[in-house]
Amino acid sequence: MSVWAAMIGGLVGTLVLTSVLRAASELRQTRIDLPFLLGTVVTADRQRAKLIGYVFHFVAGLLFSLAYYAGFVGLGRAGWLLGAGFGVIHGVFAMTSLVNILLPAIHPRMGSSLSSVDSMALLESPGFLMLNYGRATPVVTLIAHVVYGAIIGGFVSLAR
Amino acid sequence: MSAPAVLPPTRRVDGYAPIRDYAAIGDGRTVALVARDGSIDWLPFPSIDSPTVFGSLLDAGRGGSFRLAPEHASEVSRRYLPGTNILETTFTTETGAVTVTDALTVPAGGLVPLRELAREIKGIRGTVPIGWRVEPRFGYGGAPQRVGRRQGIPVVEAGADAVAVCSFEAGDPGIEVASIGGRFEIGEGQSALISLSFAHQEPLVFPTRAEVEGRTEETRAAWHRWSTCSDYQGRWKEAVDRSGLALKLLFFAPTGAVAAAPTTSLPEEIGGERNWDYRLSWVRDSAFTIDALLRVGCAEEAEAFFWWLMQASQLTHPRLQVLYRLDGGPEAPERTLDLRGYRDSRPVRIGNAAVDQLQLEIYGGVFEAASLYADAGRHIDHDVAKRLAAMADLVCEIWGLPDSGIWEVRSEPVHFTQSKMMCWVALDRAVKLAGRGHIPDDHADRWRREAAAIRTFIDVHCWSDRLGSYVRVAGMEELDASILTGALFGYDDVAQGRLSTTIDAIRRDLGRGPFLFRYLGEDGVSGREGAFLTCSFWLVEALVHAGRMGEAADLMDHLVGLANDVGLYSEEIDPEDGAFLGNFPQALTHLSLIGAAVAFEQASS
Repeated sequence: MSVWAAMIGGLVGTLVLTSVLRAASELRQTRIDLPFLLGTVVTADRQRAKLIGYVFHFVAGLLFSLAYYAGFVGLGRAGWLLGAGFGVIHGVFAMTSLVNILLPAIHPRMGSSLSSVDSMALLESPGFLMLNYGRATPVVTLIAHVVYGAIIGGFVSLAR
Repeated sequence: MSAPAVLPPTRRVDGYAPIRDYAAIGDGRTVALVARDGSIDWLPFPSIDSPTVFGSLLDAGRGGSFRLAPEHASEVSRRYLPGTNILETTFTTETGAVTVTDALTVPAGGLVPLRELAREIKGIRGTVPIGWRVEPRFGYGGAPQRVGRRQGIPVVEAGADAVAVCSFEAGDPGIEVASIGGRFEIGEGQSALISLSFAHQEPLVFPTRAEVEGRTEETRAAWHRWSTCSDYQGRWKEAVDRSGLALKLLFFAPTGAVAAAPTTSLPEEIGGERNWDYRLSWVRDSAFTIDALLRVGCAEEAEAFFWWLMQASQLTHPRLQVLYRLDGGPEAPERTLDLRGYRDSRPVRIGNAAVDQLQLEIYGGVFEAASLYADAGRHIDHDVAKRLAAMADLVCEIWGLPDSGIWEVRSEPVHFTQSKMMCWVALDRAVKLAGRGHIPDDHADRWRREAAAIRTFIDVHCWSDRLGSYVRVAGMEELDASILTGALFGYDDVAQGRLSTTIDAIRRDLGRGPFLFRYLGEDGVSGREGAFLTCSFWLVEALVHAGRMGEAADLMDHLVGLANDVGLYSEEIDPEDGAFLGNFPQALTHLSLIGAAVAFEQASS
C-alpha cells in the first residue's frame, strides 16, 4: 500500500469534502464553514481567516489521510468501501468531539457554555452534532466525510 | 445646516407608513429603510438585491420588521449625522426625550459580523419607557425559521441565514414564537444598544458592546471621509451633498454597480400594478451617474462604475442590455412574490422583464459616459476602445428599429423620438472620441453619415408644427418629457432651436405646477402614475441651457423643498397631496438633482 496514494487521496478528498459542504451551504442546508472556523483561531480578519483556514483544512486533510493509511495497513486491506466506513467514524468523531468539543476548547474566539462578559467578539459554537449551524448539518457533514474516506480508500487500492 | 423639522408620529394606513416617512441607512452592500416611528421595515440580506429579512414595507402582516420606539406617543424629529448616512431620530414624549441612532456598520476592529445593524438609544431628558421587537422573516417572509439561544443570546436562523439579537442595557430580551423583544426605561445620560449580527453561510459572530460602538464610530468617520470628496459649493449645497450621500448608499461596493433604488414594487399608483424591482443597475443611468459623480468630485466611484459597466456589457457585446444585475450578471427574470404589496399594490415583482427589451437610447448614455470619462482625463484602454467602436457600428445598423423607449413601455415597440435623439448622441460622441484618438476612427465617416440621417429622420418625422414641439413618437401628436434630455445632451441649440419651444410645450401639456408627468399616452400597463420627479429636474437643467436662469432657479427652489425631512426623494410624487410614489430612495431623481444644481452653478459662473 502506498502512503503517497493515501496522501494524494487525502488532498483530493479534502477538496471534495470542502465542495460538498460549500454546495450544501449554497443550497441553504447549513451554515458550517470549516475554513472560517479554523482560520479565526489565529486571526480576526475575515479574509485572512478564510485563506489561512483553507490551508489548515488541507493540512488536516493530509494528516487524517495518514491515519486512514495506518488503518488500512493495520487491517491489511484497503478499498473505497472500507474508506467510506472510516469516513463514517471520522464524521461522527468530528461532529461529537472534534468540532463540537475540542475546537471550542482551543478556539480563542468561540463561545461556550462557560463564556461570560468578554472583551472581544465570540463566534457561534457548533453545539451538539453541530446542529447550531442548521438541522441538516450532521447529515451533510457525515456524507462529506464518507466521500472523503471513500476517495482515500479508492486511491490506496488503485495504487496497489 | 437647517434644524430638523419636528413632526407628529407616523400615521400608518393599515400597517403601512407613507413612503415619505422613510429614511435610508446602508453599508455599501445593503440598505435598510427606517420609518419615522422607529420601525425598520425593509432590509434585504446579505445584499441590496437579496431576499429580505425585514420586508413589512411590502407585507405588513408577514414581512418582518424591527420596531423600536417610546411606548407612548411622541413628537419626532430626524436628521442624518452631518456628512453621513447614519440616522438620528429624536423622540420627545411627555416624560422626556431620547435619541435613537441607526447605522449599518462598516467592518472595523476585531472579528466582525458579515452584516451588522446597530441601534443606540440615548436618554436626553427625563425618563422614557422604550419598547422594542425584532421580527426577522427571512426569504421575503417565506423561509422556515428556528428561534433559539446561543450563550444566552437570542438567535433566529433560516437555512444558510441567521441573525443574533445582541442587546445591552435594553431590558431582558424575551422570545415569543418567532420574535424577540423587550422593554426598558432610559433616563437622562443613560444609553442602551441593540445590535443585530447577521450571518450568511457561516457561524454567527457575537460582538461586544465596545466593538459595536467602535464600529458605529468608524462608520461615521468613513461616511464623513467620503462626503468630503464633494466640492460643490453652490446655492443648493445641502441638497446636493445629501443627494451624493444617497447615491453612495446605492453603490454596491462589491462590484461598483449602482442600484436604481434599494426597493422593489413600491407602487407608482397606490393599489395599482405599476410595481417594479429597481434593485438592478440600468445602463440608462450611466451617463447621469458618471456625470454627477465627476461633477461633484467623486472620481473614484465614477471610475468604478465605468468599469463595472464595461465588464457587465462584455457578455452581451456589442449589444447592450437595458439593465444588469448588481453582480454584473445579464439575467434578471421577472417573477411575482406571494406578498400583499404596499397598501395592497400587487403584484410584488422581483427581477425585471425590461431586461429583454430593445431600448436604443441606452447607447447614447454609454457614449456620453465614455466621453465624460475621457474628458475627465481618464484613460480608455485599447480593448474598451475597440468595443466602443463596434458599439457605434451597431448603432448605425439598429437606430432605425422601433424600440420600447427610455420608459420601457410594455406596449408594442414604436419609433420613440428620444431613442433616436440618443442614437444621434451616441454617434456624435463616437465621432468626437475618435477625433481625439480615444477610439479607433476607421468607421468615423459612416458614424457621421448615420448621425446626419438620424437628425433628418427626427426633423421630418418627429416634429409637430401644431404643437410646436418634438413629439413622443414619430408621426404621433403626443408629448414626452424625456425629450428634455435632448437639451441636456446638446442635441440642438436650446436657446433658439426647436428644443426651445419644445420645453414650453412640455410644460404646458405635461406640467402640473412644478411637476411633470412623463407622458399621458398608452404604455401597455393599466392605471395611472404620479408626476416624475426626474423630469422636473431635467426641466430645470433644460431651462439653464436655454439661458432662462430665473425660471430655473425658482423651479429648483420649489423642487428642493419637496424632499422629505431627511432630504430624500422617491421616483414619483402625487401632485395632489405631495405623497411619494414609486421606489425609494431613487438614484435617478438624486442624479438629476445634482445635474440640475451643477449646471445652474456652471452657467451662473
